[in-house]
Amino acid sequence: MRCLSVFSMALACVVMAELSPAQTSPSPGSACAGCHRAETAHQAETPMGRASSLAGDNPTLERHPKLSLQNGNFTYTIETHGSKSFYTVSDGTQSVSVPVRWAIGERMQTWVLERNGHYYESRVSYYPVISGLQITVGQEVLNPTTVEEGLGRELNHGEVTNCFGCHATGAVVNGQLILSQTQPGVTCEHCHSGSSGHLLDTFQGFFDSPPRNLKELSSEEVSSFCGQCHRTWETVIRNGIRGVLNVRFQPYRLENSRCFDGNDPRISCIACHDPHQSLVREDASYDSKCLACHATSAAGTSVTQHAKAKSCPVAKAGCTGCHMPKVKVNTPAGLITFTDHDIRMAKPGDPYPN
Amino acid sequence: MELGLGRRFACRRRMLGMKNPNIIAFFTFVCLISNHSVAQEATTFNDLVAQATAAAEQNDAPRAVALYTKALEINPNWAQGWWYLGSLQYDAGQYAPARDALTRFIEFSRGSGPAYALRGMCEVETGEYADALADIRRGIVHGGADDERNEQTLHFYEGLVLTRLGRFDEALQSYRFFAQRKITNPEVFLAIGLAGLRMTLLAKDATNDQRALVAAAGTAAYQFFSGDEKSAVAAFNDLFQRFPTAANTHYLYGWLWYPSQRDAALEEFQHELKLNPSNENARVMVAWTLLMRNDPSDALPVAQQAEETQPELASAQLVLGRSLWESGRLNDGIGHLKRALQLQPDNLEVHIALAAAYSRSGRTEDARRERAWCLEATNDGRMRIALP
Repeated sequence: MRCLSVFSMALACVVMAELSPAQTSPSPGSACAGCHRAETAHQAETPMGRASSLAGDNPTLERHPKLSLQNGNFTYTIETHGSKSFYTVSDGTQSVSVPVRWAIGERMQTWVLERNGHYYESRVSYYPVISGLQITVGQEVLNPTTVEEGLGRELNHGEVTNCFGCHATGAVVNGQLILSQTQPGVTCEHCHSGSSGHLLDTFQGFFDSPPRNLKELSSEEVSSFCGQCHRTWETVIRNGIRGVLNVRFQPYRLENSRCFDGNDPRISCIACHDPHQSLVREDASYDSKCLACHATSAAGTSVTQHAKAKSCPVAKAGCTGCHMPKVKVNTPAGLITFTDHDIRMAKPGDPYPN
Repeated sequence: MELGLGRRFACRRRMLGMKNPNIIAFFTFVCLISNHSVAQEATTFNDLVAQATAAAEQNDAPRAVALYTKALEINPNWAQGWWYLGSLQYDAGQYAPARDALTRFIEFSRGSGPAYALRGMCEVETGEYADALADIRRGIVHGGADDERNEQTLHFYEGLVLTRLGRFDEALQSYRFFAQRKITNPEVFLAIGLAGLRMTLLAKDATNDQRALVAAAGTAAYQFFSGDEKSAVAAFNDLFQRFPTAANTHYLYGWLWYPSQRDAALEEFQHELKLNPSNENARVMVAWTLLMRNDPSDALPVAQQAEETQPELASAQLVLGRSLWESGRLNDGIGHLKRALQLQPDNLEVHIALAAAYSRSGRTEDARRERAWCLEATNDGRMRIALP
C-alpha cells in the first residue's frame, strides 16, 4: 500500500502541476484521482458533477447555439458564439443583453445572470422535454413589464448563496459568496470537506488527515447530509411544501416511508445510490436493495439481524415499479416525471401522500 | 383600548342572519315603529325586539342593550338576539357581558367565525389572552376573516394576544401580514416593536419613553418584512445609535436576518448577549444558529449554559437536547427533548428534533409518531422559520 500511495502521490503532483493558474485552489476532482480512482473516474460526468457549468463548457448551449422564446410582450434569446453566450430580452423597441456566465442544472438549465451587481434567476429556462425554452418554474406568476424585469427574478443574498452553495463547489466561504474561486458542479471538496487540506498534506507525505468517512454516517445522518441540497425532512416540514411538488425532495419522501429506519444502513440514500456514479435508471437494478430487507426465509420473513420485513406476495423483481411510483409534476414546459421515494403500498388512484 | 383597528370588525349584522328574507322584512317593519319608552309599551317579546332594533338603528346603544336583554329574558333561545346583544355590548365597551352573550350565541351556532372572533376580541379586553387567542384563531378558520378589513383586524389582534402571551416569534409572523400587504399604520409599528423587543405589553401600557423605542424598532422591522432591505438596515443602524443599550434590539435584527443570512444573525445574537449577558433567549439563539450551521460541538457549551441558567425555558432544553444528540450523546439528548416537550407540548422544533433522534436511535415507531405529529401540525402549508 505504501508503494501505491507514493505512486499515487506522484501522480497527484503531476495532475496538480497541470492545473491552470486560475485553479490555484486544487481541483480535487482530478487531483484526488491519484488515490481515489474508482470514486473519481466518472464523478465529473454525474448529474451532481455537472450541477452547474460555466460559459464555454456548456454542452446544452453548444448544441443549441440559438434558443428563443416569445412570451407576452417579450422575446427571449440565448445566443452562443464560441465560448460566449448572451441572454437577451427584447420588447421590440428596447432590449437588454447580459453574458451568461453560470448555468444551473445539467439537463434542465436555468441561468444565473448578473447585472449591475445584482443577481437574477433567468426568466426562461431550457427544458429537455421540449428541447427549448419556457418560463422558469415558479416565475409563471410574475408579469414583467420592462425588459429589465424580463431578465428574471432578482435573487437576494441568501438565495444566491443557497443556489451556488449546492450547485457549485467553494462558492460560499464563511457565509460570503466568492464566485471568483468557485468550481462548477459538485466536486470532492463539496461533500468531503477538508479533502483539499488532505490532498496538500499528502504532498508532504502525511496521510493521516483524511476528511470524515461518510460511510460511517447513520441512515438518518445520510439523509440530513444529502438533504442539505436535496432538502431534509425538517426543511420541507418547516417550509410547508405539500403536494406533488415535494416529490423532488427525496430525503423527505424517503423518511416518510414506512420502512425508513434511521439506524439501518440498508435504507438510506447511499444504500441505493453511489454519488460517484451516474444515476442508474433501470428499475431492476434496485431489486437487490429492496431484497436486502425483504428477502424471505422459509418462514416468509426477513432473515437479517435488523427489523423483520415482510416479503412481497406479488413479485420478487421490479419492486420500485410498484412501490416507488412515478409522479408527474407540471411545469411550464409540460409534465416531468419523478420517482417517488416514499416507499409504500401504492395503489392506483390513491391520493399523493403528504 | 384606543385602537382604531379594534373598531374595524365590520358589518356584523350583515355577516349573521340577514340573508334570511323573513328577518329582513321583519327589520324593515320594525324600523317603521316609533320610538317609545321601554316601560310604557315593550310588554311583549316582539315589541321588545322591534324597539331594540329601532334603538340600535338610531345608535342608541344603551337603550338597545336594555331592550335586547329584556327580550332575551323572555326568550333565551333567540339565538340572533344574543349576537345583537353581544355586539352592541362590545361597541359599548361592556366586554365581559358581551363575551357572555356571544358565548350564548355560539352555543346555538358553533360554526360562526365572526362570533368566535368577536368573543376573542372581548377576551383581549378582559385579559383572558389564552382564550382570546383560541377564539380569534377559530374565528379565522371559520370564515371570520373573509372580509379584507376583518382579516386585518383579526391578524392584528392575533399578534397582540401572542405578544401578551410571550409568544413573540409567532406574533411577528402574524404581523408580517401587514408588511406584505403594504399596510402602514402607527399602531402596527408599535405592535411589531413590542413583539420584536419581546415586551409582554399592550401598546396602551407602554410609557412614553418605551413608545419611542418600540415605534423605532417596529418601523425598522416592518421595513425588513416589506423586503426593503436597504431602508431596514438604515433604520436599524439608527435604532442602535439612538438606543445603544436597549434590550433585544440586536436580537430582533438577528431574528430578521436568520432565515437568509445565518452568519449575520449569529453576529447580532452574540452582540445582544454581550450587551445583555443574562439574555438567555439570545444565548439559545446563538446555540441554535450554530446547530443549524451543523456545528453541534460549538453549540453544546452555549446550550449547556442556557439550560443551567434557565432550565424552565423550553427552547434551552431543546437546543441542549439537540446539541447533545447531534454530538453523539443520543440518550442524554432525548431526555432534554422530552423535558422541552413537557414545557411546551406544541413546539414544532421539539417534535422535529425528537423525530430525528428517535430515528437515529432505531426507535422507528416513536420516530414515526413524531413525524406524523409534525405533518399534521404543518398541514396548512404555512412556512415556519426554524426557531426553537
